[in-house]
Amino acid sequence: MNLDEEKLYAARLHATRARPYLAAALYALLPVACTRVPTMAVDRHWRCYVSPAFVAATPLEELAGAWVHEVSHLLRDHHSRSDRYAKRTSLTGPAERLRMNIAADLEINDDVYGDGLTAPAGTAQPERLTLPRDLLMEEYLGMFRLGPYTDDLSWLDCGSGADGAARVWDLGPDGAHGLSDQERDAVRFRVAEGITGQPGAAPQGWRRWAEEVFHPPQPWRELLGDAVRAAASGPGAGNDYTHGRPSRRAAALPGVVLPALRRRQPRVSVLIDTSGSVSDAELGSALLEVTAIGQAIGGRRDTVTVRSCDAAAGVAYPLCRAAGIPLTGGGGTDLREGFTAALAVRPRPDVLVVLTDGQTPWPQAQPPCRTVVGLFPRPTAINEDHGYVPESPPQWARVVHIG
Amino acid sequence: MSETLAVAADLLDLLTDTGTEPRADRQLDALTLAVTADLPVLLWGEPGIGKTAALTQLAASLDLPLTTVIASVHEPTDFSGLPVIGADPAVQGVPMAPPDWAVRLVQAGRGLLFLDELSTAPPAVQAALLRLVLERRVGALRLPPGVRIVAAANPRASAADGWELSAPLANRFVHLTWTYDQDVVVRGLGGTWPLATLPRLDPARLPAAVAYARRGVCALLTARPALIHQVPKSELRRGVAWPSPRSWDMALRLIAFAAAADTSREVLSMLVRGVVGDGPGLELLASLDRIDLPDPEDLLADPAGAVLPERGDLRQAVLDGVVAAVRQRLERSRWDAAWALLVRALETGAPDLVVVPATTLAALRRDDWPLPAELDRLAGAVTIARRAQQVAAGADR
Repeated sequence: MNLDEEKLYAARLHATRARPYLAAALYALLPVACTRVPTMAVDRHWRCYVSPAFVAATPLEELAGAWVHEVSHLLRDHHSRSDRYAKRTSLTGPAERLRMNIAADLEINDDVYGDGLTAPAGTAQPERLTLPRDLLMEEYLGMFRLGPYTDDLSWLDCGSGADGAARVWDLGPDGAHGLSDQERDAVRFRVAEGITGQPGAAPQGWRRWAEEVFHPPQPWRELLGDAVRAAASGPGAGNDYTHGRPSRRAAALPGVVLPALRRRQPRVSVLIDTSGSVSDAELGSALLEVTAIGQAIGGRRDTVTVRSCDAAAGVAYPLCRAAGIPLTGGGGTDLREGFTAALAVRPRPDVLVVLTDGQTPWPQAQPPCRTVVGLFPRPTAINEDHGYVPESPPQWARVVHIG
Repeated sequence: MSETLAVAADLLDLLTDTGTEPRADRQLDALTLAVTADLPVLLWGEPGIGKTAALTQLAASLDLPLTTVIASVHEPTDFSGLPVIGADPAVQGVPMAPPDWAVRLVQAGRGLLFLDELSTAPPAVQAALLRLVLERRVGALRLPPGVRIVAAANPRASAADGWELSAPLANRFVHLTWTYDQDVVVRGLGGTWPLATLPRLDPARLPAAVAYARRGVCALLTARPALIHQVPKSELRRGVAWPSPRSWDMALRLIAFAAAADTSREVLSMLVRGVVGDGPGLELLASLDRIDLPDPEDLLADPAGAVLPERGDLRQAVLDGVVAAVRQRLERSRWDAAWALLVRALETGAPDLVVVPATTLAALRRDDWPLPAELDRLAGAVTIARRAQQVAAGADR
């Protein structure tokens, strides 16, 4: 059976008109006629394998939807993400790959169809598996198993571009106009640039993709840890050279004062100020993270102190007791009072870590020690009526957004 | 007892007797090109991943003596020079004596200086390294041009007591992430490691390479002045490459070297992103891609001999450029040449790419111009356009 190229290309033209922001990616796909593919499939080198029978049997609108669907797999890098997931969980069997394909489909299908592109009957949609919409493939993967709900999805096969497992029909990395890593990145970058340049044209899901594709969000635990570590080991605390003590090498150079490496235990003071809106689990894990790092740097337990404002005492107290951290209650209900109280302690702390939801006034002047702010997302519903916009944390603090 | 040790020595000799083979290895190519271009390289990699081994191997294949300096166990004075007091400091001053490894490097005139464990060096040592890395000065000595500098660091997450690299020091390096490749490791443990081959610079291409690099970087920075200097502010970007006039200069040098050596785009991509950061690096590569496309005016001058890019998205960009050029200076001959180009595109590639440029071009027609002779050869594109139109109309209903 010959491939009806005219229909296939007409469908692509329709797809680029319906989704102009994906045009560059759609044109970069190289269609390859292949009788072994059930419907349409992509590989990681941006080749699109098309079954001639599928093209003949499918209406043009649905074919255009299939084009957009397949290119979405590639733009969202599903093959690498599947490989990473498989590596992390050591699940690599064919059933797992099918599950990855279904999860990848769930991620993209909510914004593929509609507006001129019709979904064929039986596409994987979150509602069919009674799952929420707008999640990522990795999140979906943890939420369903193959079972009666997915029985009629087991025909799905979007190729190695969707789930990372090689297929018999794949042409391989060399020749046949496959795109190299760098070319793939360039295409994805161009599409992302186009979407961020004209944000009105693309739906929410694609705008989010464009923002994050080359600036992936990093886990806050690492960022908070890095911030605390850096603050506690910067000049003035931790290991560094000072002229405060003569170097041991000075004996070889009489009359010259060489700096010596001097180690001082950095003192970390943690200030908790939340209005109870932050989930206990998140506050607890942030607190334990910070204190663990503080103790590791200081080498002693008593180098970390925790001070809590009244509202958060209920969460902080049991945690601190369990971990053996000294807790000082009652810094007032205002963060400024908490700052004053924490800085009044002698010897003064080297690092002040503030865990807050940001609904608080900040001190005007920069405190005489490094400040790290762990900012919890603030609940939006409370403030809308009053028109009260909380101040953003000041410039002198290193801010890490948690959650 | 001594016999056992002698046999053990034989066994050890056998184990260390490994061969090399030429093999396409991108990160090794990138490292070699950056070292050839005389830019300081910083290898980021987990402990034990083979950074030091790669360096030893590189030094052997470049035939440069390797000098390893562990930055974290040195004092700042080891890099800025040790003050030595003479008879009359008030008159003669206090000379800063360089350490022995620097003296030996200067005497040899060439070598590979490897600064290991950079990220665990205390801040004061990092500050002293700034001058060494950028100005190549150790105390009163200046390292000769034949000395190349490579550093290695462990990522923040894996170094228990690591300092993050200060932004000024990070800006002076080409950052390369060192990862292991399963094939290379397996083959290497089997006895054959990849061989670092020096890039072959083509003397005939040097002026063109410099012009190309200058054009690419200048075109981007003219259009995007915000990219010239961006001190890292967010938590994510600390301690890694960031764009500044200095790092753009380094990027320019790398592009010129890559062009002269005809290095692959992947390697150049690694290097450029390691110098100015991921986002600006990708924008620079996109700008180079645009320069690589055929010039619309050249195509219009000779439509019969035109070579259009094979890749659909590039071809579409070229055709759009051609139509835009015709629109800018609308003449009958240019308009006809554009039609000839569209026919050529239709005959050599996917037909749907031609539809939008053809529609735009048709709209540019002046009333007294006859329809182009090629119109019936565009029939394939017309049918496709009509079918897509029907579907769109159906969807609207």
